[in-house]
Amino acid sequence: MRRIMIDYEKCDGCKNCSIACMQAHREDEGTIYDLNLTDPRNESRNQILRVKDGTYRPLFCRHCKEPECVMTCMSGALRKDPETGLVTYDETRCAACFMCVMHCPYGTIKPSHSLQKVIKCDFCAEDGYEPNCVKSCPKKAIHVEEVEA
Amino acid sequence: MRHVIIGSSAAGISAAREIRRLREDAEIIMISRDGHVHSRCMLHKYISHERDVKGLDFTEDNFFETQRVEYIQNEVISVQEKEKCVVLRTGEEIPYDRLLIASGAQSFIPPVGDLRTAPNVCGMRDLSDAQTIDRMAESADNILVIGAGLVGMDAAYGLLQRGKRVTVLEMSHRILPVQLDAHSAEVYQREFESRGAIFYLGRRLEKTICGVGGQICRVVLDTGENIDCDMIIVAAGVRPAIDFLDNSGVEAGRGVLVDAGLQTNVKDIYAAGDVIGHSAIWPNAVKQGIVAARNMCGMSEKYTDTFNEKNMMNFFGIVTLYLGQICTRRDEVVMTEEDRNVYRRISIRDGKVTGILLQGDISNAGVWQYLIKNQIDISNIKENVFQISYADFFSVKADGEYRWNYQRQAAE
Repeated sequence: MRRIMIDYEKCDGCKNCSIACMQAHREDEGTIYDLNLTDPRNESRNQILRVKDGTYRPLFCRHCKEPECVMTCMSGALRKDPETGLVTYDETRCAACFMCVMHCPYGTIKPSHSLQKVIKCDFCAEDGYEPNCVKSCPKKAIHVEEVEA
Repeated sequence: MRHVIIGSSAAGISAAREIRRLREDAEIIMISRDGHVHSRCMLHKYISHERDVKGLDFTEDNFFETQRVEYIQNEVISVQEKEKCVVLRTGEEIPYDRLLIASGAQSFIPPVGDLRTAPNVCGMRDLSDAQTIDRMAESADNILVIGAGLVGMDAAYGLLQRGKRVTVLEMSHRILPVQLDAHSAEVYQREFESRGAIFYLGRRLEKTICGVGGQICRVVLDTGENIDCDMIIVAAGVRPAIDFLDNSGVEAGRGVLVDAGLQTNVKDIYAAGDVIGHSAIWPNAVKQGIVAARNMCGMSEKYTDTFNEKNMMNFFGIVTLYLGQICTRRDEVVMTEEDRNVYRRISIRDGKVTGILLQGDISNAGVWQYLIKNQIDISNIKENVFQISYADFFSVKADGEYRWNYQRQAAE
């Protein structure tokens, strides 16, 4: 499967990836220059967090081999796609029970602001599975690679 | 090799999927009383008319065709260990090479008054119960729910959404006594009350009074109070569904007894899910189904994720998560934090989290489950413990998956 690989040492915490993610998943039309950063509906699926020593840790959904979120989903909304290896999410099936949020050990899935669904990386399926976070990283701290999974 | 699975819920379905994944040529037969595969965690949304039968199905479209699982809608009445077969209600015998008992549990109706015999009393365990409730509620206005645990509150939710007058009776002095602390339970109680629910807490059912057609029309509590009702939903817990195992040789206590690999005392017979009586939590049943399936296919795996002190609920847009236990012992430090989006409460003993409650914003909650489950020392990581995240334990494997790195943390 293809996975977003992370070289956290290269990350300088600019959060370009987070903005790119918000832009890629916004509901309204527009360019990054009119993206409303304070609208809670514009949420990033990834997070860059700073740790004690002042360096950064990029937190991106791993589309795990044995995904906790999928195993805990009681509605069938989350699935591991056997073809692509990606963990897909069907919000029409989701019952907003948030069992997945309680079980992802990395905190990479969260309730939406509306509490009607969850927010999770979709690998930018609509953009031909070319993640916008990766395209926007100026430090090449993240890149897509084919891995065994 | 023929795998027979009794039950079509979380454990049964996940086992079937895993067997198919491992064994392309295996024969898989699933036997269940259910007419439709359904997620019991969504039954309240069926009662509230937010979802129909298809909306309760948690399997992908054409699951049985694509996974090549033969579905037999029937009831297993006995298991013949020596002949290696199960006997159906219709008399048919189905031989197996490996058998998985994932028959789940059934509602426990306390033997009080006429609860067990009256026609207007129902549990809320599976789709057929929800359909009965749905039908009975057409002509009932006053509905009594016995038990204010998750199932009872689910029932109350569904019926309030239908505009019914709902009364909830609970022995404990607060609602959701196992799932929540007093503070967070009260938030829900107030919300339910504002939508018309009436609560009788710290009281016990003592007597039932029947009217026309043997229907219970009034109950009497231990305090002498009366509650009138047209219909009763009993949500007083469940018992593993093991009656059909009598004389089968499969040992059971409260539930079916299994070893670490989920095999029963009888070779080639496994059990998973609520029927083993460890916990009634969907994710645990799924994982047990997977582990049992692997062992049925000749692998040797243990079921290790036994942590079950985890509760999550979402009623009327109020979301609460409670992990572990906040018991406020003397040697425990309890910290709280509150803003307009969230109420957080955590208890820590010897640097390790013993319990956490989040009401409102529950992002990042899985990290807390991991920290509690694995008893990880969180001393000296963040000044504000609530800001701890996976970033503090970050490590990446060669294939790009994450791994928890807490050894270094402890050593520092």
